[in-house]
Amino acid sequence: MLGDPIVIQSLTKDFNGFRAVDDLSLTVRQGSFLGFLGPNGAGKTTTIKILTNLLSASGGSASLNGIDVVQHPKEALAQVGAVVETPEFYPYLTPNETLAYLGEIRGMSKEDISRRTKVVLETVKMTEWADKRIGKFSKGMKQRVAIAQAMLHEPSVIILDEPTSGLDPRGMYEVREILSELKKQDYTIFMSSHLLNEVQEVCSDVALINRGRLLKTGSVEELLEQASVKRIEVRTIQQMSGELLNSISKIEGVQELRASGENQFMFSLTGKDQEQAQMLLRLQSLGLNVVSYKESGLALESLYMSLIKDSR
Amino acid sequence: MSETNVNAASRAARELPSDLQQVGVVAKYDIMKYLRSRRLLGMLIIEAIVLIAITALLATSNNPKTADGVVGQYAGFATILIVIGATLFGGDAIVSEYQGRTGYLLFPNPIKKVSIIVGKFISSVAAMVLILAIYYAIALVAGLVMGNGFSTLGLASLGLAILYGISALAVAFLISSFMKGTAGSLILTFALFFFVLDIISSIMGSLGGIKPWFLVNFAGTSLSYVTTDPYPVDTIQSLDIGAGQSMTFYYFYPDVGLSIAVMAVYAVVALVLAYLIFRRREMSA
Repeated sequence: MLGDPIVIQSLTKDFNGFRAVDDLSLTVRQGSFLGFLGPNGAGKTTTIKILTNLLSASGGSASLNGIDVVQHPKEALAQVGAVVETPEFYPYLTPNETLAYLGEIRGMSKEDISRRTKVVLETVKMTEWADKRIGKFSKGMKQRVAIAQAMLHEPSVIILDEPTSGLDPRGMYEVREILSELKKQDYTIFMSSHLLNEVQEVCSDVALINRGRLLKTGSVEELLEQASVKRIEVRTIQQMSGELLNSISKIEGVQELRASGENQFMFSLTGKDQEQAQMLLRLQSLGLNVVSYKESGLALESLYMSLIKDSR
Repeated sequence: MSETNVNAASRAARELPSDLQQVGVVAKYDIMKYLRSRRLLGMLIIEAIVLIAITALLATSNNPKTADGVVGQYAGFATILIVIGATLFGGDAIVSEYQGRTGYLLFPNPIKKVSIIVGKFISSVAAMVLILAIYYAIALVAGLVMGNGFSTLGLASLGLAILYGISALAVAFLISSFMKGTAGSLILTFALFFFVLDIISSIMGSLGGIKPWFLVNFAGTSLSYVTTDPYPVDTIQSLDIGAGQSMTFYYFYPDVGLSIAVMAVYAVVALVLAYLIFRRREMSA
């Protein structure tokens, strides 16, 4: 495939005077798993709806595999699988029939549909429900079938709009497992989310938006590198006392200290690996028996919050 | 060959179906909806009740009967079935994709909205034709049994009933294309055909002396009059109500040829408008 699979250029969308997407330009590179991050109302879903022909653009362009989705939606969506918001299913159809319906729309042969249906339902762990009508399925089950239909035709691009939104913890865990599986395969994935740990866990690239404008884009590693503030989580043998916390708070570089358990505490640290290693030594010099000392996975959150704050 | 290469080869080999082929796919799965839904079952129950009631009345009546007369009795109630059918099969055809959020599943696929609406319309028409075919089949058999002959005018009535059904469905699709809720769309469709258009045609015809030939419900009544031989003609009657005053009554009957044209125009125009609205409608909620 030539070129980048998703190219958004100066995309704008207005709703009765309100600008939901504002001159947004973004490129998603081949084979990447891009997390599209932003707070509620940032324009993530609007952008995805334009990409999937659910909304028209007020200006700019959006291309999928080099085809303008606004001008030629049928051709542009041919190699795309999408889960937008939490779709509802036709309650009178089973997952097998739903996948057959969508497969036939995409021109898949019966053999192809049968083969791929087995694979994708297995991937989302819905095989035993394949012949039950979807009407009575839970939200989590529907979301898994939704992801299955997005993979059915072996698309080159998968677009996911907050795939764990509205799910219970188990449902979220199951969907994250599926996302990790997708990551191993030959897809370019564009996923919106406001769950930073989710993005940091599964995505290779990140784009941050707020108020419809792109704030930052790059690989997760690059952005984490730029995030100079880290949240550090420490577990010790000793129980956290007020006195001990007071001593820790006096260590140079410790910010926003708080106990997070009987023998756990968290703090923010400005600096890179060198400063992080130094801090461990300082904590140990206080007599702390450190059991674990790790970044809490919220480094991206620090960057995100600072960028969001700056964009206001 | 690696899995990646298999995927790429499989994708390359697959071509999208034509718009027409996709119409067939949408129609096929939409027909499945009717076959599995309570709506078709409910419609068949209503039809059975109407058929039993009319047959019982005719069977117990001692008046001399002709085949056309018998079928005409049934045809008189066909318009009600058509209104109910248009409501159930077309009243929420489009709006349900938005309110029910199934549009989030269907619309991001490589399919044009014209294929979706035409596919849905074909399935609605198929359900309507099924209902009318069963109804008229029983009416024609009743004509054979009670009227001792086959009613060729009954066949003409069936043809007009199908055309009226199609035009009513097209109007239902139009309503469904701009309404925000399914309940409102169903109610508006039913109310429009059941009494709103009737009130308008009554006011125009009986009181204003204007023949409402351009109203689809008036044109639709031709399916009933076509079974009468000779076909009724427009009449104007003046009735002396005393004190030197009189009241004029107008009895208008639809011209069959003109009614066919009117119903066809309603079907085409309403469906095209429904498509244009559907095409522009966004999945914004």
